[in-house]
Amino acid sequence: MLRVALRNVRAHLVRLGLSILAVVLGVSFVAGTFALREMLSTTFDGIVDAGYVGDVYLRGTEDSSAMVQTGSSAGAVRNTIPADLADVATGVDGVDLALADFTGPIVLVGADGTAVTGAGAPSFAVAYSEADPTSEISQGAAPTDATQFALEVASAESAGLSIGDSTTLVIGGELHEATLTGLIDMGASMAGATIVFLDEATAAATYAPDGLVATISVFGDGSTSDQVLTERVRDAVEAAGSATPVEAVSGTDMREEARSDIETMLGFVETFLLIFAGISLFVGAFIISNTFAMTVRQRQREFALLRAVGASPLQVFSSILVQAAVVGALGGALGIAGGLGLVTALKSMFAAMGMDLAGDIPITTSIVVISLVLGVVVSVVSAAVPARRAALVPPVEAMREDSPAPAGSLRVRGIIGVVFAGAGAGAVVAAVVQAAADDSASTGGLLGLGAVAVVIGALVLAPVLARPVLTVLSAPFVAWAKPLGKLAQGNVTRNPRRTASTASALMIGMCLVGAASVLAASTQASMRSVVENESLADLVIQSASGMVPSGAVSDIAALPEVGVADAVTLDSFFVSEASATEEPAMLYALGSSPSTFGRTWQTTTVEGDLATLADGSIAVQEKTATAENWGIGDVLTVSSQRGTVTAPIGAIFSSAALDTPLVMADTSFDQLSVAPADQVTILLVKGADGVSVQELKSAVTAAAAPYVIVSVQDNEEFVSGLASQVDQMLTILYALLGLSIVIAILGIINTLALSVIERTREIGLMRAVGLGRAQLATTIAIESVLTAVFGTVLGLVVGVALAAGIPTVFSSSGLTDLVIPWGSLVTMLVIAVVVGVLAAGWPAIRAARLPVLEAVTVD
Amino acid sequence: MSSTPASSPTRSAAIASARGLVKTYGKGTTAVHALAGVDVDFARGQFTAIMGPSGSGKSTLMHCMAGLDTPTEGTVVVDDLTVSTMNQRQLTKLRRTQLGFIFQSFNLVPTLTALENITLPLDIARRPVDRAHLAAVVKAVGLADRLKHRPSELSGGQQQRVACARALVSKPSVVFADEPTGNLDSVSSREVLTFLRSSVDELDQSVVMVTHDPVAASYAHRVLFLADGLIVAELTEPTPDSVLEVLGSLTRQKASA
Repeated sequence: MLRVALRNVRAHLVRLGLSILAVVLGVSFVAGTFALREMLSTTFDGIVDAGYVGDVYLRGTEDSSAMVQTGSSAGAVRNTIPADLADVATGVDGVDLALADFTGPIVLVGADGTAVTGAGAPSFAVAYSEADPTSEISQGAAPTDATQFALEVASAESAGLSIGDSTTLVIGGELHEATLTGLIDMGASMAGATIVFLDEATAAATYAPDGLVATISVFGDGSTSDQVLTERVRDAVEAAGSATPVEAVSGTDMREEARSDIETMLGFVETFLLIFAGISLFVGAFIISNTFAMTVRQRQREFALLRAVGASPLQVFSSILVQAAVVGALGGALGIAGGLGLVTALKSMFAAMGMDLAGDIPITTSIVVISLVLGVVVSVVSAAVPARRAALVPPVEAMREDSPAPAGSLRVRGIIGVVFAGAGAGAVVAAVVQAAADDSASTGGLLGLGAVAVVIGALVLAPVLARPVLTVLSAPFVAWAKPLGKLAQGNVTRNPRRTASTASALMIGMCLVGAASVLAASTQASMRSVVENESLADLVIQSASGMVPSGAVSDIAALPEVGVADAVTLDSFFVSEASATEEPAMLYALGSSPSTFGRTWQTTTVEGDLATLADGSIAVQEKTATAENWGIGDVLTVSSQRGTVTAPIGAIFSSAALDTPLVMADTSFDQLSVAPADQVTILLVKGADGVSVQELKSAVTAAAAPYVIVSVQDNEEFVSGLASQVDQMLTILYALLGLSIVIAILGIINTLALSVIERTREIGLMRAVGLGRAQLATTIAIESVLTAVFGTVLGLVVGVALAAGIPTVFSSSGLTDLVIPWGSLVTMLVIAVVVGVLAAGWPAIRAARLPVLEAVTVD
Repeated sequence: MSSTPASSPTRSAAIASARGLVKTYGKGTTAVHALAGVDVDFARGQFTAIMGPSGSGKSTLMHCMAGLDTPTEGTVVVDDLTVSTMNQRQLTKLRRTQLGFIFQSFNLVPTLTALENITLPLDIARRPVDRAHLAAVVKAVGLADRLKHRPSELSGGQQQRVACARALVSKPSVVFADEPTGNLDSVSSREVLTFLRSSVDELDQSVVMVTHDPVAASYAHRVLFLADGLIVAELTEPTPDSVLEVLGSLTRQKASA
């Protein structure tokens, strides 16, 4: 008897454990998300506070039309302002000091001879000023000339440099040997950014050769509020007049602005993570509901007895809910720990990648309360349905042999699902058709909305689809594993709602991954075809900082192996039709030697001739020309704060690789560009006659080596470099798929355990007529695999179908090819099979161990 | 049926027999002897009924004979195979090839059709279906027009007849029936019992049935009476009245004891 009791407890523990685990997973994710969010906020707040300590800031204005129309999202672009306005500001009553912010990109070579880069964080130089309160020398001395520099403490640590060390800096495109003279503590974690301090003269000469800077920081003497000070500085600057528009903002507003930008970005991350937390909680709720359905079922006689001796339905109901609340509270508490563990792991991962996050891992009251409440509410709500059933069953009924409650009709569900999926699919098709008809139509939003509706529709429809889809999927099992396949098929289609809910976690995960892998494959294929179609160069030279130093450009061009080296530079200018009166738009433009085209690069000319670039004409991207209604011969005014160029449109081209609205000859471009010190974005190199690509590459690589950040790639490497960036993005999604797989396994185990208990009689019967243990286990494994494959197939079909619409909608953004990565999709299916087999293990063993006689005579 | 496995030349007269069968539940002072040393032979090609009051051990006897339960002491031999020493794997094989089962209720797999339920033991054993035999059995139980139906679409009597067909289709050495008519009305009971009897008379099948219904027992060739774990009486060619009489005398003995 004791053994039976112990066995009961053990079986109970495992099942309750499964429920607790389900809660833990969901709550961990929620708690982890909030804690991570909190930590990131603290870190970035620290950076903002440390970076913007001024009381007033002067900066350029943001033109309302100056949003970059195409290409990468540069966001708001401001003009630069004269640095000597600092002197004006210093003269204002109540101002202690005003400093022009001489700052710009720099490359620091670390102790190991490679460029110091922290986890994608920027690397920049700032002018050191003794008076600047944001930076105080904590150790050593300030830099006094171009041969000296100081470092932010954490940057020095990740560079592996200490005071007195000499290293190479790439400043303004030129190599500099300099010695580290001091360390500066900025009082906050810089989240991996590399910050180099130069003496003011060097910084000013490099980053503001024309006397223009992005911002000027003004520090008050404490005699008045920053609002009042802002008014005074604004008046003073207006009185003094400025070559470019200037605005004055208070330090408070500046910090608020910076913070809200960061909050928006963190909000996206948070939403994304919370969606996954929601999925895991949903599946968790389902697992809890199943578990309680099982316990209630097993204790039905006990409840009936309780009812028979006078317990009210409410008493039975609440006794079950109390159990659920305990499970929820326990899961919630463990979930908090799990979430913090998750964040700790993330933090050390970030730290290993060179990005230090500030502060301790936060355990705020709100995180604790939210987690516990969530855990309890989720479990109580999910236990309510089985508890209600247990409480309402009449005692006599419960004493009798039980039969599963008849499932309600799926009709309403089917109608709702069809409406959702249909509307969603309609929106997607409309978006695709509209995009196919009109290149410039922006239908991304419609597509997104449609996609969400389709996914919801698919989730709602899943139980309706379960029977037909599973019948098809199980056909091979039915044919090859007689009679086990048929038995398994019967079991998974018996309760389609349950099968569909069990498969939902995998379905959502696979939907995301299916869509992402189609997008990734399409993007990679598009990049490949673009590069193959348009690049005539042997080598593509780029820089990790985005700018190839001019020193490297001239060194490479001078090599005897190099036949042609065409430098291509990117910048943005104000552009308008010369005759037009409307506000000029800010557009990206590409500057290059006119002979680049046809020599190292080719693009499709729609109208006109790219050769006219040599005469000073401008070439316009086809979609821009269409949008702005520009044609050949129209005269454009292109201006920057450095000057204005007026030139006719000589060619209209269409290029997916050169995703810029304008192309100009380098002669015109250089009159306008404020790109620092003639650095170039990309250098296209073709070998001299008789030089093989290998010889060329080794020569160029050797010449580029001192500049550390310069990468030399042939076309193939260039493409794979782009492709691997895409793959990195996929890695994040695969991690999330991993999570949904864990949840899916838990869900399947739980459902199978439930159905084994429900089918005890049936299992006993089949064993009595000769079903072997291995055969029984196989049947359960087939059920499990079918459930997993069902979720996967549904998810992949929805994901791939949705993703297939995307290239048409975004073809104007360079996504030209649709590629369906069959290999990856098959891998997903194989994963589903493995998941199914893994999940089947424990329930199958349990079922196989059921003693035949007990099973067949169980009541 | 000359083709049944039971027709080997070395076959013994009894299709199933037990010697010194003891089954004890629990230990020490709380031990309950469900079977207290039973010696029994079930004749080949006969319909044997086992009767007895509740707790007499009749179900335990059948479970031990069928290899569903392991006896504490004694040996069980079915068709010259020693069941009592078999391991799980051998027992599974025995159930699959040598035995047929009919339970009181829940005899059918709800997800399979009547025909699939009937051929389930053969499918599990991966043995080919003898079409002619199947047709004969289906005809005998009178279910030819119900083969495509699921159990939920059949009446209780029809379900039990499907179960009978399933028990017979693999041509087992013995069919064990545990209260096969316990949940049926008298008309359905008669159909099932008539069929079991005719399977013995016409198909040369051996059937062992546990029942507490004297009318059901009267369909058998022989009735064994159990009380307190021992065989206490036996009747051949029983009628409902003669069975009732024996049961009555057993009850009187017990009451006077």
